[in-house]
Amino acid sequence: MEVMPQYDLSRLPENTALKQQKLPAHRLDLSASVVLSIFFATGGFCLCMGVILILSAKSTKELEINYTNICANCAQLREDSSNFDKECTCSVPFYLPENMEGNVYMYYKLYGFHQNLYRYILSRSNRQLLGKDIWDVKDCSPFQVSRNSTPIIPCGAIANSIFNDTITLSYNLNSSIHIEVPMLKSGLAWWTDKYVKFQNPRASDLASAFAGSAKPLHWTKPVYELDTDDPGNNGFVNEDLIVWMRTAAFPTFKKLYRRLKRVDYFAVGLPAGNYSFNISYNFPVTVFRGEKSVVLSTLTWIGGGGLFLGLTYTVTGALTLLASFAILAIHLMLKRTKKNFL
Amino acid sequence: MEVDVRQMIHPTSEVERVVKANDRDYNEKFQYADNRIYTSKYNILTFLPINLFEQFQRVANAYFLFLLILQLIPEISSLTWFTTIVPLVLVISMTAVKDATDDYFRHKSDNQVNNRQSEVLINSKLQNEKWMNVKVGDIIKLENNQFVAADLLLLSSSEPHGLCYVETAELDGETNLKVRQALPVTSELGADISSLAKFDGIVICEAPNNKLEKFSGVLSWKDSKHTLSNQKIILRGCVLRNTRWCFGMVLFAGPDTKLMQNSGKTKFKRTSIDRLMNTLVIWIFGFLVCLGIILAVGNSIWESEFGGQFRTFLFWGEGEKSSLFSGFLTFWSYVIILNTLVPISLYVSVEVIRLGHSYFINWDRKMYYAAKAMPAEARTTTLNEELGQIEYIFSDKTGTLTQNIMTFKKCSINGRVYGEVLDDLGQKKEITKKKEGVDFSGKSQPERTLHFRDHSLMESIELGDPKVHEFLRLLALCHTVMSEEDSAGQLVYQVQSPDEGALVTAARNFGFIFKSRTPETITVEELGTPVTYQLLAFLDFSNIRKRMSVIVRNPEGQIKLYSKGADTILFEKLHPSNKDLLSLTSDHLNEFASAGLRTLAIAYRDLDDKYFKMWQEMLEDAKAATTERDERISGLYEEIERDLMLLGATAVEDKLQEGVIETITTLSLANIKIWILTGDKQETAINIGYACNVLTDAMDAVFVVTGNTAVEVRDELRKAKEILFGQNTSFSSGHVVYESKQQLELDLGADEAVTGEYALVINGHSLAHALESDVENDLLELACMCKTVVCCRVTPLQKAQVVELVKKHRNAVTLAIGDGANDVSMIKSAHIGIGISGQEGLQAVLASDYALAQFRYLQRLLLVHGRWSYYRMCKFLCYFFYKNFAFTLVHFWFAFFCGFSAQTVYDQWFITLFNIVYTSLPVLAMGIFDQDVSDQNSMDCPQLYEPGQLNLLFNKRRFFICVAHGIYTSLALFFIPYGSFYNLAGEDGQHIADYQSFAVTMATSLVIVVSVQIALDTSYWTVVNHVFIWGSVATYFFILLIMHSRSVFGIFPQQFPFVGNAWHSLSQKFVWLVVLLISVASVMPVVTFRFLKMCLYPSLSDQIRRWQKAQRKERPIRNRRPQSRSSSSRRSGYAFAHQEGYGELITSGKNMRAESPAPTSGLEKMLYNNTSWIENLCKKTTDVVSFNHDKTAKL
Repeated sequence: MEVMPQYDLSRLPENTALKQQKLPAHRLDLSASVVLSIFFATGGFCLCMGVILILSAKSTKELEINYTNICANCAQLREDSSNFDKECTCSVPFYLPENMEGNVYMYYKLYGFHQNLYRYILSRSNRQLLGKDIWDVKDCSPFQVSRNSTPIIPCGAIANSIFNDTITLSYNLNSSIHIEVPMLKSGLAWWTDKYVKFQNPRASDLASAFAGSAKPLHWTKPVYELDTDDPGNNGFVNEDLIVWMRTAAFPTFKKLYRRLKRVDYFAVGLPAGNYSFNISYNFPVTVFRGEKSVVLSTLTWIGGGGLFLGLTYTVTGALTLLASFAILAIHLMLKRTKKNFL
Repeated sequence: MEVDVRQMIHPTSEVERVVKANDRDYNEKFQYADNRIYTSKYNILTFLPINLFEQFQRVANAYFLFLLILQLIPEISSLTWFTTIVPLVLVISMTAVKDATDDYFRHKSDNQVNNRQSEVLINSKLQNEKWMNVKVGDIIKLENNQFVAADLLLLSSSEPHGLCYVETAELDGETNLKVRQALPVTSELGADISSLAKFDGIVICEAPNNKLEKFSGVLSWKDSKHTLSNQKIILRGCVLRNTRWCFGMVLFAGPDTKLMQNSGKTKFKRTSIDRLMNTLVIWIFGFLVCLGIILAVGNSIWESEFGGQFRTFLFWGEGEKSSLFSGFLTFWSYVIILNTLVPISLYVSVEVIRLGHSYFINWDRKMYYAAKAMPAEARTTTLNEELGQIEYIFSDKTGTLTQNIMTFKKCSINGRVYGEVLDDLGQKKEITKKKEGVDFSGKSQPERTLHFRDHSLMESIELGDPKVHEFLRLLALCHTVMSEEDSAGQLVYQVQSPDEGALVTAARNFGFIFKSRTPETITVEELGTPVTYQLLAFLDFSNIRKRMSVIVRNPEGQIKLYSKGADTILFEKLHPSNKDLLSLTSDHLNEFASAGLRTLAIAYRDLDDKYFKMWQEMLEDAKAATTERDERISGLYEEIERDLMLLGATAVEDKLQEGVIETITTLSLANIKIWILTGDKQETAINIGYACNVLTDAMDAVFVVTGNTAVEVRDELRKAKEILFGQNTSFSSGHVVYESKQQLELDLGADEAVTGEYALVINGHSLAHALESDVENDLLELACMCKTVVCCRVTPLQKAQVVELVKKHRNAVTLAIGDGANDVSMIKSAHIGIGISGQEGLQAVLASDYALAQFRYLQRLLLVHGRWSYYRMCKFLCYFFYKNFAFTLVHFWFAFFCGFSAQTVYDQWFITLFNIVYTSLPVLAMGIFDQDVSDQNSMDCPQLYEPGQLNLLFNKRRFFICVAHGIYTSLALFFIPYGSFYNLAGEDGQHIADYQSFAVTMATSLVIVVSVQIALDTSYWTVVNHVFIWGSVATYFFILLIMHSRSVFGIFPQQFPFVGNAWHSLSQKFVWLVVLLISVASVMPVVTFRFLKMCLYPSLSDQIRRWQKAQRKERPIRNRRPQSRSSSSRRSGYAFAHQEGYGELITSGKNMRAESPAPTSGLEKMLYNNTSWIENLCKKTTDVVSFNHDKTAKL
C-alpha cells in the first residue's frame, strides 16, 4: 500500500488488543482426548459415588409407623373441628427387630400436607417472631387478629396450623415395665433459626410481654406456655414451633420431633424389642385426606436420605461410561477411515 | 417523517400548485411547506411522552408494563413488584438515552442545513436569510458554487441567454454539468433588483412529486403564458457551476422539494433476527398461555379435590371461593411467574451486544482510511448481525466503485503503443513503477494529476513524428471542452464529460495546449507556438453516431476533418489503405480493453476546398429544410465522415477505488450477488462492470434489455430466459446480445441446466416498465438467476424500487452502498445502507446505517464484523433461550407439588437478580467477544460467510433445540432435588427438606449449570470471559451469603427471610452432591452431542480450526482465485459521460462569454432563425432518452 499522508491521527482508532479484537485468548476445543478423559473420569466418579451412597443408605435403619388409621377413633373425632378441646390419646405398639445404634432421631411425617402453598408460606410475620415488634401482624392474613380483634401471636396460617400431636416413646422391657425413652427437646432447630430468626421479646416475664394478644385459633394454649419447664424453649424460641415454621418444600415431609437422649439403656441407641408410641392425637389430617406417621431413624455421614440419590448417581455414571465408550469407538473408527483416506 | 409533516399541513393532497412571485401574503393562504426540513423526531417537551409512547408500542415493553400492572393486584400477585419494574425501568431508560442522543445529532444536522444563508429578495432589497426562512414565491439569488436552497424557477442569470450550469451529483450522481435556461422574457430581468422585485408572475404547476426529470407548469406574466419544462427548473441539492449568479423563484420548498421527496421515508429497520425474535416471543407467549391454562385447570381440580378441605383447615377465616375463580386467578399468577420465559433482559442484552459490535466496527484500524482520516462508523447500532447475512449488494458506481477520476493511460499511435506500464503479470516490464514518471515540468502548463510513465512518447514528440503530432493535435481540437483562465491566470478546462477532459489534458501535457475557442476558431498552443484553427463545422456526438468530428482549416489553409469515436463505428469508415494499421490498432484496442480501459479510435481526413464547399452548401440546405431535416443532416455527416485515415487509439482509465476488484471477487466467492445501479450511461456502466470484475469475459452471456414498452421489455426478458434455460439454442435476435455465441452454444449443448454465469444489463426506461407491470416477476426471475445485474440510467427512486423488489420477493437480506444523495432512497430501503463518507455531500452518510471511507472496507465489514456479529448473536440467543427455559420451567414442574398455588421455586430476589446479575455478564462477554475463527480466516475463506445467508445458526429449528435443551435441564434441575429431598434429613438429623433449602439448592444448581454451559459455549476465552464467568459464580455466592446474613435480616426481616439458609445448606455435603449430579446430568448429554456432531458432521469453521491446530506454525495460505482476464472482447464507448448538443452550444457560441453576443456566423443565424437551439437540444435529448431504438449494442 502506498504511504498515505496522515494529517489527522486523532481519529485513528487506538491499537489496543481490546479494540482490535485481538485479546489474548485460548480457544476451547473439544479435542477427543480431553473429552474422553473427562467422560471416563466423570463416569467413574459417579458410579463410585452411587455405590457408596447406596451402601450407606442401606446401612441406615429406619422405622416408620403410620398412625392415621391406627388411631381411627381419634381421627374421626378430629374431623369435626368443634371438638378441638377434647382430649384423645392412642397408643401404637410396635416391635423393633434390630438394635438402632448411634444417634436415633424421631420424626413426625405428614403426607399430603401442603406447607408450600403460596399464600400459606407468606402468612407469617418475621418481625413478630424476631421479638422486635410483636404486634406486627400485617403480613399474616387471614390470621391476623382473633374474632375480638386482638392481634394473634404468633400470627399467620403457618403458626395456626402447627403440628400439635404429642408423641412419647416407651420401651416395653417386658409386659409390665414400660420405660419412657428419654428424648431431647433441644437441638431440633437450626442454630440460626433458634438464635437469630426467632427471639422472644426482651421482658422478664413472657406472659406479661404477650398480654393483650390472642392465641392462634387452633392452639389450645398461648405461645408463652409452649414449654413452661424450660424458659429457653418457650415462647417464640420453642423448637417445635421453629421446626414447624420452617415450611417444607413438598406436601410429603418429615420434621424432626425429638432426639434420643443416649443414657442408661439407650446409651448405644435403641435396643431391639417392644416399644409403643403414646400419642396425644390432636392434629387432624383426614379432613384433607392426609396421613401422618412417626419415624425413627439413624443417620449416616451424609444425613438421612433415601436411595434416590445413590441410584441416580449410579445410573448417571453408567450412562456416562456408556457414552464414553461409544465416543471412543466412533473416534477410533473415524481415525482409521481418515488414515485409509490419506 | 418529512412526508408526515407535509400531510399534517395539507390534509388533502395537493393537486396543483399556484405560486405568485414576490407575494408572500398571496402564497400564505395555500399553506405550502416552508423551507425548513425536519429529520428529527422529538423536541425537549415532546421527547418523554412520544418516546415512551413509542417504546410501549413495542410488544415486549407493553407486555412487561402489563405484567407490572398485574403484579399490583394483590389477588394474583405471585411475585413482588420489584422483579419486573427494575429490569423494565432499566430497559426503558437505556433506550430513551439512546434515542435522545440519536435525535440530538439529527437536530444538529437539520440546524446546520436550515441555517445556511441565502440571498433573498425581500421588500425590493437583497437580504441574507437563513434557508429555513425562505418561502415559496420568494426570489433568491444564487452565486457560483452555491448549493441551491429550494426548487427554483430560473429567472435570469449572469450568462448570456439566461443560461446557467448546474451540477446534479447530489441528485442523480452524474458529475457532468447540466444546462438550464431561463425563459427569454424573464432572462431580460437580469440582475436588476427593482424589476425583479416588480416581477409578479404566477406559476401554476404540478404538485410536489419525486420525478427528477419531469416538470410541467405554466408561467402567466404580463398577460401571456409561457410553458415551463424541466429545463427551466433548478432543483434543491444542485450546485451552481460556471455561472457567476442567477436569480430564481422558489416553487417548492423544504419537504416539497424533489430532493426531499426522493429521499423516501425514514423506515425503522429491523434485522431478520429481530423479526424472528418477535415471532419466537409471540410463540413463547402462546406457550406461556398454554402453560397458564394447564396450571389453572390443575388449580381448579386441586381446589375442588383437596383445597376445599384444606382451606377450612388453613385459611379458616377465608370466605367461600369457587375453584373455577381460583383457577382464573391462578392463571394470571402463573403468567406473572413464568414471564421470565421471555426475559426483558433479552432485549437489553441484545442492544448491549450490538452496541459492542458497533464499537468494534468504529475501532477497527483495518477499516480506517488514513488519507482522509476517516474511520468506519456504525451509525446505527441495531443492525450489526444482519451484516453477516447479506445476499445482495446494490452498489452505486460513481464515487463508490470508481473515484470519478479519468486518467489518460495509454495510446496507440500509428501502430505503436505508448504508455505501457507495469503489468500485473509482470510481462511488460520496460517501465516499472519505480521509474520516475515523464517529467512534464518542462512544459508550460502541466497538469499534476497525470502520471504518464512512458518516455518514448515524449521522445517521439521531440523527434517530430508527424503522426504523433497529428494525433495530439486532434485531441486538442476535437472536443467540446471550454477553457477559461482562473484568477491566478491558470488555464482551467470546463469539461462536460470527464473522459474528454482526460484527453484534452493529456494533449496539453504533451505540448498541444488547447487555449481558447470562439464559435469559429480554436486556438491551440502547439509545442510553444500558438496556432489558430478556423472551425468550419462541428459534427456533434449522438448516441447513434457514437462519434464526433470537427472540420477545421489550419493556418496553412488545409481543411481537415478530425474524428474520434467508438472503434466499431469508426473502423467501418476507414480508407481501405488502412488495413494493416487497422488490424494492429485493433489488437492494441483489445489489449487496452482487457485492461479495463475505455477506448476511443482516432482518425482524420484531408478534405479539398471544393468538396468541402459543396458539402457545406448541402448542409446549410439541409438545415434550412422543413421536412426530413434530421435525416438529411445525418446523411451528410455520414457522407463526409468516410475514407478516414486511422491515427490510433486512446485508452482512458476510469479510476477504480482502491481494492474494488479484490473486494468484489471475495464477496462473490462468499456467494453475495452484486448489482450495480447507476445513473450513468449503459456503456459506462458496462465498462465499469468489466473493470471491476462484476462482468467478466468468462461469463456465458450478458443480456442487455433496452425495450421501451412493457411488451418489448417482457419479450426481451423472456427471450433471455429461454437462452438461460437452453430451450432455444438457435435463438438469435438483435434484442439480446451475448458475448461469445460459440461458447454459449457449447455450454448449452453440454449442460441443460443453468450452470453458467450470466449477467443482465437493463436501463432505466426498461426498468420502469419492468417494475410497474406484471413483467416484474420475469425480471426478478431472470435477474436472480444472473450472477450480476447492472442497471443504468436509473433514477434514485428506481434504485429504491429495485431494492424493494428483491427485498419483497426474494426474502433475502440486501445491502445498498453509495455516496451521493441519489443513493439515499436506496440506502434507506435496503436492509442495510452504507454510505461512503469523505465525499462532499453528506446525504448518503446521513441516511446510512454504516459509513465507510472506501468500498474495499466492505469486505472486512461483512466477512469479519458481520460474520462475527451474526455468529455471536446467534450463540447468544440460543444460550439465552436455553437459560430462561431452564430457569423458568421448574416453576411449572413445582406447580404439581404445591397445589398449583403459584408458589415460586426460588427466592424472589434470586428471580430479580438471576437475569440481570448472576448470568448476564458471561453471556454478554460471549456475545461480544466470541470468535470461532480468526478474522484472517474469515477473510481468506469467504465460504465461511454462507451459514449467515442460509440462516443456519439461529432459526426456528435451532430455537426448538434450545428450548428442548432448556426443558431437559429444567427437568433435571427439578426432579433430581425432588427425589433427593424426599424423605431427607440433614447431617445432624435436622429438617433440611424445607422450602428454603430447596430453593437455595435449586438456585445454586441452576447458577452452576448455566455457568458450566456458558463455559462450554464460549469458544474464545479472553480475560474478560474468565473474569465474568468466574466472577458471576462468585457474585452469586457472595450475594447469597449477604442476603442470608444476620445483619440484613435484622434490618429487613420480612424481605430477607432466608437468614442462615445459605450457610446451612451449603455446609451440607448432601446439597453439593445434588448440585454435582445435576450439573453432570445436564451437561454430559450436550457435550456428547456436540462432540459427535463435530466428529461426524464438522462445519467449515470446525474444519478450519482443526486444520489450524494441525499446523499451528504455518500461516494460512491465501486461496484467492487468480484474477484472470481474457482478452476476447473489446469494449469501446464513445466519450462515456457525453451528452449530445454541446456541439451546437459551441458553434452557436451561446456558452461563451463573448463581449458581443450578437450572432455573426451565418450558420448560427440560420440556426437561430430556424428553431431555438435549446428546443432542439431538448428534443434530441428526449429522443435519445426515450426512443432509443438502438437495441443492439455491441459491447
